[in-house]
Amino acid sequence: MKLAFFPGCLIPVKYPYMEVAIRKTLPRLGIEIVDLEGLTCCPDPIHFKAADNLGWLVAATRNLCIAEEAGLDIFTICSGCTETLSEAIHMLKENPELKEQVNRRLARIGREYKGKVKVRHIVTILRDDVGVEKIKATVTRPLDKVMVAIHYGCHLLKPSDFMQVDDPDDPHVMDHLIQAIGGTTCRHQEWYLCCGRACQSQELREQMTNSVLDSVREMEADCMGMICPTCFSSFDLGQVLLARKLKGKADAPKMVPPVYYFQLLGLAQGLTPKEVGLNRHKIKLITVLEKIGLAEPV
Amino acid sequence: MSDSTLKVDFQKRQQLERILGAGHLNYCYQCGACVGDCPTARFHPEFNPRTIMLQSLLGDLDELLAENSLIWYCSNCYNCYERCPQDVRPVEVIIALKNLCVAEGTAAEEIQPVMERILATGRSVPVMPAVNRMRDDMGLPPIAELDTDELREILKPDDEA
Repeated sequence: MKLAFFPGCLIPVKYPYMEVAIRKTLPRLGIEIVDLEGLTCCPDPIHFKAADNLGWLVAATRNLCIAEEAGLDIFTICSGCTETLSEAIHMLKENPELKEQVNRRLARIGREYKGKVKVRHIVTILRDDVGVEKIKATVTRPLDKVMVAIHYGCHLLKPSDFMQVDDPDDPHVMDHLIQAIGGTTCRHQEWYLCCGRACQSQELREQMTNSVLDSVREMEADCMGMICPTCFSSFDLGQVLLARKLKGKADAPKMVPPVYYFQLLGLAQGLTPKEVGLNRHKIKLITVLEKIGLAEPV
Repeated sequence: MSDSTLKVDFQKRQQLERILGAGHLNYCYQCGACVGDCPTARFHPEFNPRTIMLQSLLGDLDELLAENSLIWYCSNCYNCYERCPQDVRPVEVIIALKNLCVAEGTAAEEIQPVMERILATGRSVPVMPAVNRMRDDMGLPPIAELDTDELREILKPDDEA
């Protein structure tokens, strides 16, 4: 299965270990990754869209054109990129006049959006095309007894009318993928809450992140299972910064390490903690590695 | 007519509705489904997407477009888009309001630097030297420099090309 890779900005530039995990795990599942030249920021659905919604759509459509010209569908690994590109396709499909307007802009650079390209988040490809049995067959080191508290984040699932990933009120895609590599999953009480990263208010960000973390701690999970790199930043470095603020206070909470799904998949496929960059996390996955018989990465 | 008569500033409302994303505003029947599922409203009760839709319907935009407007507290979670029975897409109306703030120079300070970075580098995140060392350690090529000429060309407004 050959697919165009849309890496986005946040993962290659801030969390290359997530990109490494993608590049090392997918070929074992029969996915051929094709890197395309000329792709830019999706563009980001928070800042760029707030500044110029039409420009955001035009720039997103240019990215779609590049894959369309290559005759390939796109797979995404970041929830924000998935949201932008999926919404662009949706807007262009529901409004033919808008599509013409966007194509007039793209004509300036000799491109045209035809509406043939599909955009899919990589978890849907694992669930629907690769399948759980094929994932299981690549596992050499199952995550036995590892309890993963899943945090889906917002943009993977919503709005469901164009995201088409899973039921946002009762999602299971991550449960199936974690169970496929031998782990156990749990749904914490605030599983639906936004991490708050896009709020232009430090106080609100902290309140949302803290509420999620308090809820995860109730579960006594070994780690948080993440799929969104923005959520990851809130719960990795963000959690450390929150803990610093609480330093000196009597009951500083214990830290819960977040981890991107494909890093866990890599571990289960036999990669070392270092190969999937676990040594680069601010909060180390101590109990996860103990349970699967590996020492903490140095 | 008394002073309590409801007034609608249609000119301002139409100015908003013409922005991409705000076109479904007038489907809103003020049910409040957006509020019940809004994480920002939960932690900051002054933020109320139903009220923001009402102010928008009335064309009463001054407060929403002022500096430090509450609209910037929106978490962009899309719960309101998911819940709305009328397909108003409240988050998209809020984003359209943000577009107006940017035009008026009252946007949150985080917005402009990210826009400029994307135009200059093609990426929303700054590339620090440390990241290329990390990528090299992990066997990845360095972050490529992107040509942003095409991006700049298509981002020129329709009347300037």
